[in-house]
Amino acid sequence: MPLATLVTMLASLPLLSGLVRGDQWWLPAVVLMTVVALVSAAYRSLVNGSLAVPFLQLFAVVLVYAPLFAPQTAALGFLPTLETLDHTAALFEQGMHTIDSDTPPVSPTPGLNAIIALTFMVFAMTADFLAVTARCPGMVGGLLLALLVVPLFVDDAGVSWGPAAISALGFLALLAVDMWARGREWGAPVASGPRLDARYDGVAGRVGLAAAVAVLAITLALLLPQVVPSLRTDALYSLAADSRFGGNDSVTTTHPMVSLRRDLGATSERTVLTYRTDDEDPEYLRTFVLDEFDGENWTMTPVHAGRDNGADGDLPPPPGRDDEPAEDDLVTTRISLDSDTAPMDFLPLPYPARSVEISGDWYVDESTLMVFTTEPPPSGYNFVVTSAANRPASQDLASAGPPRSLDDDRLDLPGDLDARVGELTASLIEDADSEYEAALALQEFFIGGAFTYDLSPPQVPEGSDPLTHFLFEDRIGYCEQYAGAMAVMARQAGIPARVAVGYTAGRPSGEDRWTVAARDAHAWPELYFEGSGWVRFEPTPSDPAGGQGTASRPDYSAGEDDRQDDVVPESESAEAPEPSASPDADSSPAPDTGASPDQGSDEAAGATEDTGAGAGARESPTWPAGVGIGLVLLLSAALPALIRALLRGVRRSAVAAGGPTAAHAAWRELRDTCLDLGTTWDLGETPRTAAGRLSSMGATGLSEEARNALWRLALAEEAARYAPEPRTVPGLAGDLDTARAALIGAATAGWRWRALLLPPSLAPWRRPRVAAKPLLTLP
Amino acid sequence: MSLGTQHDGHGGGVQEDVGTVAAVADRVRDAIETVIEGKPDVLRIALTVLLAEGHLLIEDVPGVGKTMLAKALGRAVDCSVQRVQFTPDLLPSDITGVSVYHQDRNEFEFNPGPVFANIVLGDEINRASPKTQSALLECMAERQVSVDGETRALERPFMVVATQNPSDMEGTYALPEAQRDRFMARVSVGYPSPQAELDMIDSHGSRSPLESLAPVTNAGEIRDLVERVQHVHVAPGLRRYIVDLVNATRTAPELKLGASPRATLHLVRAARAHAALEGRHYVVPDDVQALAVPVLAHRLLPGPEAQMERLSAEQIVAQLVARLPVPGPR
Repeated sequence: MPLATLVTMLASLPLLSGLVRGDQWWLPAVVLMTVVALVSAAYRSLVNGSLAVPFLQLFAVVLVYAPLFAPQTAALGFLPTLETLDHTAALFEQGMHTIDSDTPPVSPTPGLNAIIALTFMVFAMTADFLAVTARCPGMVGGLLLALLVVPLFVDDAGVSWGPAAISALGFLALLAVDMWARGREWGAPVASGPRLDARYDGVAGRVGLAAAVAVLAITLALLLPQVVPSLRTDALYSLAADSRFGGNDSVTTTHPMVSLRRDLGATSERTVLTYRTDDEDPEYLRTFVLDEFDGENWTMTPVHAGRDNGADGDLPPPPGRDDEPAEDDLVTTRISLDSDTAPMDFLPLPYPARSVEISGDWYVDESTLMVFTTEPPPSGYNFVVTSAANRPASQDLASAGPPRSLDDDRLDLPGDLDARVGELTASLIEDADSEYEAALALQEFFIGGAFTYDLSPPQVPEGSDPLTHFLFEDRIGYCEQYAGAMAVMARQAGIPARVAVGYTAGRPSGEDRWTVAARDAHAWPELYFEGSGWVRFEPTPSDPAGGQGTASRPDYSAGEDDRQDDVVPESESAEAPEPSASPDADSSPAPDTGASPDQGSDEAAGATEDTGAGAGARESPTWPAGVGIGLVLLLSAALPALIRALLRGVRRSAVAAGGPTAAHAAWRELRDTCLDLGTTWDLGETPRTAAGRLSSMGATGLSEEARNALWRLALAEEAARYAPEPRTVPGLAGDLDTARAALIGAATAGWRWRALLLPPSLAPWRRPRVAAKPLLTLP
Repeated sequence: MSLGTQHDGHGGGVQEDVGTVAAVADRVRDAIETVIEGKPDVLRIALTVLLAEGHLLIEDVPGVGKTMLAKALGRAVDCSVQRVQFTPDLLPSDITGVSVYHQDRNEFEFNPGPVFANIVLGDEINRASPKTQSALLECMAERQVSVDGETRALERPFMVVATQNPSDMEGTYALPEAQRDRFMARVSVGYPSPQAELDMIDSHGSRSPLESLAPVTNAGEIRDLVERVQHVHVAPGLRRYIVDLVNATRTAPELKLGASPRATLHLVRAARAHAALEGRHYVVPDDVQALAVPVLAHRLLPGPEAQMERLSAEQIVAQLVARLPVPGPR
């Protein structure tokens, strides 16, 4: 058993193969698991007991651990020392960091390997306890499930067939070995003679049961997710949520940078969303704002959902803007998220959004205008967003005063920042007359050619700061590094800055239509200028060969000299307007939106239609839920009937096949029919007695024909049971049908329905037994 | 319960054998039914016991036809029939026979008693003294008679049909359990139905129908039938069933005394004969169930609880049969 458990656990290793690069990471895990299993097997074969097994296992692991992970710290080559402990802590830190910062598949650092190996070691010990000590090998399935959940959660690609099948086979092997071991404890199997029919029946019953369980499980797995969200939008639920949490929900989400890396890493053309807008040069679609820098990463201040910040109606005004956006300055964008995309709990919106029409409960963060939900978002939905143009004139930016209406923390930087960064910033902006010029200078620093755009930059060496490494060492990175570095340097230059994460405008895919793919995922800095609010800059190169291909630089951020170079090459889509290419579209977007009022009204009509569609989409989760519940109910209702029909079919074919088992099959079917119809079946009755009793069923007894059929069935069964050499009796199938029909005909309608829908013969507790007649009470 | 339906399979030689058994038994049955009407169950048991080479105890109130049944059986089978009327003064030698000294020939000559016959009718056996009773029962068990140190085998078939009045009647010595055990089966004739009694008035009015009863078979044929009955098949499950049933009488709390291993053998033999009577070459549980009460009940002693509940041994056996699962499919 311990070795079978080991095989099972080893078979579960491939589950992680999609998450870790290379093929060395599993080696320590294999070693540790083998040690655990061998200790268990050896101890159990020597000593009759299992109390000491976990302790011995731990002891053995400790001995193996040091040479495996920290050979240089071990005394005598294997004895762990205090230094080993320190090393282990460092390893764990490194491993956790790898898990936090890298996207799957991650590189196998020693720390990660240690974490994986120790996790598997703990799992192997638990599995050993469950399968061998507790003799519940089925419970090991729970451990495997836990392992399976890891890749499902972390990796969008999920688990491929191969590893899943291997681990499932490993589990089945464990169960089989357990059954075999249990069987062996009972001694050699008894050859019980030609009980073919019983076996036949048993197999049919077991197959039927297994099929039923499988169908039910699959059905539930498919339909339950459809049902559950609709339960959660229940008014009762929101009421309870409000009262319980005081209407103030903290929101957590996947770290934006991780999902960004994931999107960029998958260089696929997978469509994330499509949208329609009349803006010829649409804004980026911003999903997250990262406004805190911890020295290494940009993170998001936690946002809160409450009754006072619902996203219905007009959104709060964009901070820092003097002008209230004019009515005709608004751009309407209708966004459809692709249903294949992972559900988004933060909406991708052009900044600054003024209002959002979307179903469900959504909240807005006042300072960043992020719109988010606390519920599990549906995958694939439509919404309409109205946003103001955000193209301040260069001179407005240049003349912006010091930030007034803003928290100071948008300038915060950790104190231990490398001094070289500050020096670099100072040298870059020494010629700048205003903060605007400083911002331009910083941007120019990044797009000037000194940096290389690469989606998979080389690993940052252990111990060195990613920011300084990017700025001073290799200068290789992608939008995350560009945006993060520029935001840090902007803060050093005294300009409030933050990092926005989301998507570029994507590529035009027809009139007014735009398509945003996964590889359009992007990060960019947003800088704050008093009077104009937050405006975006673009330090990432937009060259499709060596940059973010769909990135664009707004006019105000494009310097005088590189305005012409800044054309985003959109060679493959000539018929559609380029994001920032056409010089006439550059001048001002305001006239554009106002230029075609009729088109605008069309759009408005379209918008209403779309809202209708949105409403439809809102209901759509409920109708599949309804249908799902119905289907589940129907299926569960029909399941007993199906199993019963299956069993009947098997027996009928056995009857038709003839031979000594035919009579048994026919008799069993007759028995189950009687049980289904609520007629008792006494094991103390001989076939003849039973036939005689059944013949008198119903108000007037059965017909002559049915009686004879019953009688023939009984005699055939009797001969099959007791005669020295039973032989085939012809016509049993016909007799069975006649007898069944007569019995069903004699039953009441209620019992007939019950026999069809809820056949009691399937219930083990309704199985026939000897009538428990007490001896001392007699007629 | 119509047990007369014959199974339409065919079992080769055995099947033909039992076919003969059934045919002969039907003839005998028909013949006896001209005398005793409306008692097919009793008749069937009697024939079963005959074919199983057992002895039959008929117990009932006087005048219901116990003796008539025994006589009719002897008549229908052309064989020697002896009748012994048991009285309190009957001596064992009155049954087994005595050696008489012949003076002229100067030797003892054995005068065989009434037990030297194929069918011995012991009438009102419980009126004789226990000593005499036991003399008969010894012959029954051993099928031989030892007189003056000489052992003489009895003829086959040998069947004792004893009648007895219920023991609570005046002037009777109830058979001890040990001796009841030697009878294969006990039946009660019971009162005839009103219709049968009406018919009886007609048929018995002028002269006894017994006199017009012609033999339909003979001792040799019966010996042959008995031989064939031995080959009736008893499935392993059924053997187990019989053992379980007998065992149940030993463990049932209601019974003070259970059935003996001899009862097991009797039940198996009787079941074979019963199956053959129906022309079947294998025993079915119905045979065992039909025979359980006649074969087992008279050997049992109900305990005090059962007596308080007024449960007879027959009722207890019937319940045990109802509670025991019949052997299922192989």
